[in-house]
Amino acid sequence: MTYVDRVATPLAFVVTEIPDDESAVIRRAQARDLAAFERLYRDHVGRVHAICLRMTANLTRAEELTQKAFLTAWQKLPHFRGESAFSSWLHRIAVNTVLADLRAENRRTQRVFNTDDPAVFEIPRTTPHVGIRLDLEQAIAALPVQARAVFVLHDVEGWQHDEIAKQLGVATGTSKAQLHRARKLLQEALQ
Amino acid sequence: MNCTDCTARLHDYVDGELTASDVHTVETHLRTCANCRAQHEALRKLLATVAALPPEIAPERDLWRELRTEIEQPAVPAHQRSAAERGLTPPSIPRMVVIRWCVPLAIAASIALLAILLERSIASRGRDSAWSVATVAGAPRVGTRLVRHEAAFRVGQWLETDAASRAKVAVGRIGEVSVGPNSRLRLIDTESTNHRLELERGTLRALIWAPPRLFFVNTPSATAVDLGCAYTLAVDEDGNGELHVTSGYVALEDDARESIIRMGMMCLTRRGAGPGTPFASDAPEALRAALTRFDFERDTRPAALSAILALARADDAITLWHLLARTEHAERADVFDTLAKIAPPPAGVTRDGILAGDVAMRRMWAEHLGLATFAAR
Repeated sequence: MTYVDRVATPLAFVVTEIPDDESAVIRRAQARDLAAFERLYRDHVGRVHAICLRMTANLTRAEELTQKAFLTAWQKLPHFRGESAFSSWLHRIAVNTVLADLRAENRRTQRVFNTDDPAVFEIPRTTPHVGIRLDLEQAIAALPVQARAVFVLHDVEGWQHDEIAKQLGVATGTSKAQLHRARKLLQEALQ
Repeated sequence: MNCTDCTARLHDYVDGELTASDVHTVETHLRTCANCRAQHEALRKLLATVAALPPEIAPERDLWRELRTEIEQPAVPAHQRSAAERGLTPPSIPRMVVIRWCVPLAIAASIALLAILLERSIASRGRDSAWSVATVAGAPRVGTRLVRHEAAFRVGQWLETDAASRAKVAVGRIGEVSVGPNSRLRLIDTESTNHRLELERGTLRALIWAPPRLFFVNTPSATAVDLGCAYTLAVDEDGNGELHVTSGYVALEDDARESIIRMGMMCLTRRGAGPGTPFASDAPEALRAALTRFDFERDTRPAALSAILALARADDAITLWHLLARTEHAERADVFDTLAKIAPPPAGVTRDGILAGDVAMRRMWAEHLGLATFAAR
């Protein structure tokens, strides 16, 4: 086999997102092996924390929700059947954890989450710190709560509107309106 | 369709949620309306920026120790235990009053904190003298030490993986590199404007979210220069390489040549010869073989060039553009004529100018093909 033939073959590690032995690690964690679960935690914590941080725009809450998501994953792991990728299963737990927290906070602050008026979710937007380039992460963090949640789920995480609407308890049209609003605000912020 | 209708449908259009007939209507309007076209471009640009966001953000501190404590003490509900352990007392003022004032303050404080941390993050980019390595599979080594979970990766150290191991390297705060099996990688520099690795052999996948030309990978046959992208790079035992770009752009450079490789393209490198001519990853095998002969087998260059020009498709304009700088006289004229057929030169670029080696004209044509922004030479 010539060099060109050999290198033209797709690189196995490039297309394999999950390590070959992750299924073995999962089985050990399902058998309550904490060291195996730590391995899963270390492999996936960056992804879970990214979801939590982007959706809450709050470092402390993101850390708490990251821990909570992994705690839930540990508790539910014996029921994980491998019908989806472990990362997808964990990702879903993380999103559900954040959404439950957002709903709980919404109840605490007596705001009405189930509304078709995007302006209800407006919060005062902070002025960017002098000297900081207003980059995309900051602009996302400054979005109104629900617009941010819809934007992150749709444009960053790739969810569909009907799924987002179901999870947030709003109409599909509201999810779309929130997304369009978020994109408009981001475009303004990044100009 | 008027502009109001078009604007209303633009988001659904970019999200692929319109019917075929609505897509046709929107596209017809976009062809004739500069304002709506600008809106469309702005929206596309935003979504491209979003698509380049890093999928992972590591926590500022290790959360595992607390999580492990939670796991090992399952009898008491977590929220009760944490409150008790922290010695918190019940609020002495009405809860709703606290919430009314504290929640907006907490939100504002959190956003301000995030801004400060991001500022620190930006300001400290590149100041780290060591990067970190995390094990993905097996037991990679940094120097002589096995990496069980994570380890520091310092300038001058070698990271090695065997057939069963893989690792992930955090490139300061600007990206990450996944290292495949049987690889040997050295950290050369961590300066803010020079994040540099050396890949002696093996494979790596880089995902970089910094501005162009801050991350470099030296190989025995060329240097890969990040231009805002994701790519895979493989180097064999002889020091020859192969690069695939999966997002954005990468430059491959040596002392004499530069190749710009766009998303969906690949490029070969050979020790002693430098980077070859980039080509589309789905290019026909005959075209690939002809390019390999042209780039690396000097004796067969004329016949190889004839084959390339005969096989070139509309998708191969960038490949042909590179050949303008790698040919002379009659060969360059042949390349010009073929390229001009599939991607006519923009105004101001003439056949005589290109044949005379006019660099400015070559750059203008590159810009027309979407490359010039990145071309250093």
